[in-house]
Amino acid sequence: MLQRVKRDSGTVAALDPADEVELIERCRADDRRAHDEFYHRFRRQVAGNLFRVLGDRTDIDDLVQEVFVIAFRGLQRFRGDARLSTWIYRICVNVALGRIRTRKRRPNAIGVADLDSASIDPSLEERPETPDRSLERRQDQERVYRALDTLAPKKRIVLYLHEIEGLDLKEIAYLVDSNPVTVRTRLFYARREFYRVIAGDDAQQAVAEEDAS
Amino acid sequence: MSAHVAPHRWADAYAGRLDESERTEMEGHAATCRTCAQARERVMRASDTFLAIRNLAAPEVPWDSVRARVHWSVSTERRAKVRPRPSLGWLAFGVTAAAAIVTTVVADPPITQTARAPASASAPTSIVPAAAPAALAGLVNRVTGEVMLDGIRQTDLFTHRLAAGTVIATGDGQLDVQFGDASAFGLGPRSSLELRRFDAEAVELVVRGTIDVKVAPRTTGQRFLVIAGDRTIEVRGTQFRVRHEGNTTSVACRHGLVAVRDQHGQLEVGAARHVDIAADRQVAETHVVPLSIDEVSVLVAATPITLPVWDVDALVQGSAPLEIATSGHREIRVDGVELGAAPMRVRVMPGRHTVEAADSAGRYRRAGWIDVGAQNPGSQPARLTVLPEPPPTRGIDERRRQLRGGIDKVRLGNCVRSIAKAGLAGTYVQIEISVDESGAVGFLNVIDTDLGSTTAGCVRDVLADFRFGTGAAATFRERVEL
Repeated sequence: MLQRVKRDSGTVAALDPADEVELIERCRADDRRAHDEFYHRFRRQVAGNLFRVLGDRTDIDDLVQEVFVIAFRGLQRFRGDARLSTWIYRICVNVALGRIRTRKRRPNAIGVADLDSASIDPSLEERPETPDRSLERRQDQERVYRALDTLAPKKRIVLYLHEIEGLDLKEIAYLVDSNPVTVRTRLFYARREFYRVIAGDDAQQAVAEEDAS
Repeated sequence: MSAHVAPHRWADAYAGRLDESERTEMEGHAATCRTCAQARERVMRASDTFLAIRNLAAPEVPWDSVRARVHWSVSTERRAKVRPRPSLGWLAFGVTAAAAIVTTVVADPPITQTARAPASASAPTSIVPAAAPAALAGLVNRVTGEVMLDGIRQTDLFTHRLAAGTVIATGDGQLDVQFGDASAFGLGPRSSLELRRFDAEAVELVVRGTIDVKVAPRTTGQRFLVIAGDRTIEVRGTQFRVRHEGNTTSVACRHGLVAVRDQHGQLEVGAARHVDIAADRQVAETHVVPLSIDEVSVLVAATPITLPVWDVDALVQGSAPLEIATSGHREIRVDGVELGAAPMRVRVMPGRHTVEAADSAGRYRRAGWIDVGAQNPGSQPARLTVLPEPPPTRGIDERRRQLRGGIDKVRLGNCVRSIAKAGLAGTYVQIEISVDESGAVGFLNVIDTDLGSTTAGCVRDVLADFRFGTGAAATFRERVEL
């Protein structure tokens, strides 16, 4: 059973397994209050996950809605082989993947304004940033998301989960509904492509020439 | 180490996944290779950024609105699942009747039995259940403002097939849905509608708010019901409006006949008549009254639009939405068909379409044309922006007098001389002209004429040669009779 719980940036305390089971049962029985509790408990986690995976907040409310509709529909089939938060994270990943695919067909500029308006989690900031540092940070983040945008959606999601979220192959395999060996292969190619883009044109050309020789 | 370092190896080194010797070797290479040193720098900065991304706080979302939408979607599905099935009594009756028919056929074969396939005496007699009526599908033909389907703001409204169980809700906007040849309904602003039953046998629409319905004549056995609270409106081919707010129901019929029922009685509303049933009144207690001319005009204007050809598959694949954007609300006509107030999205067939917008006097002026291609999944709809009407200026009368008094009538006469000789008289040219304070002409366009292009060009040249004096700036339209 996967035990890892995705952190919740909201203020609601994490559920212990017994409470989790009870909440699921109440939701399955169509208890309106349980649905509300479920929503309030996971809404910030869902919005945060989607925002971090996608890097922009366009239509984030529609995506949050989609995640919860899928979750409420799917609770009847939830077998409990992962923590509830992990299961919801999996839904987020799938919804985000769908969004990335749509966006690939209809490109949407990564908004500096989006990243600008999303602050770093306040609890993690030790001192206020200078404007220069803040601009630099935003530009760095934008560069990363631009590089992520160059990857195929499946590679992108695997790379995001591994490099940014720091999850291991087994956890990623659960989230993307694949097996760890496939994830490892996908990750290998994703990392190679991603860091080449990050390293810039000179490095790309140098490595490409070397690969050719 | 002479070879360049692959950029992802720097990320491995930064994450501590490489042993010391390999790392030292890479660092040694970077010390002499500017490209690799630069790559190392960039990869490390990206790796530092990962932490910042991991700690990005969740954005603020309209939580209550999202919650309401989620609840709506989920509860709609739940209601659809628990909808009562046909009673067992009917099922038993059907089975009994079918069995009786089969028994009759077997016991008393008709004379034409030889024409049928030979039936084996030992073959089991199976009872075939009656086929379910064919499901109907509705297509959105026109949308203004915000509309939600099943609690979701759909981006692909024009490719969405509306089926039984769908719940539609409008904000300030409205939408038209066609569901058959010459059959459509239009849901008004701040209204909701559930397609409770939507098949060839029966259509049941549960409405809260305003709905305008236009239904082609029903065949025998087809039912069309609008359910408004505890009242039911049944039709057999007509155009009518139902408004149900609170517990008050208003039914207005443009043509045809509708029957309004509740638990206590029934009332018939004929053409150009309406009935208002208050919350505390029964249907049988109320009276039908005639509609005024203005009320009929409102019904005419609210007629939901229908496309002349009804083929769901062909329309989904072959038609496309056209978005008409206006500043403020402007009445719009596309290809000569009045569609109501824009901004709106409307379903059109691929090709070139002329869009006209009404000016403040209610006259339609050409706003432009647009080529609409076949719709592709995910593609943006074709969009035409109607420019705002130029604001009225006070100097119009003065400038108009100047123009009328100063036109070179002799030259104008020369322009139309040849057509006048041919017997064509009483022609005109309508122009749009802009003049500034100094009298300089900003633009001069011939916007309408019944002349040929050569003659119209000649007239335009005559008008363009006219010199205005100083005065107020004005932009106006003038019809020059020739």
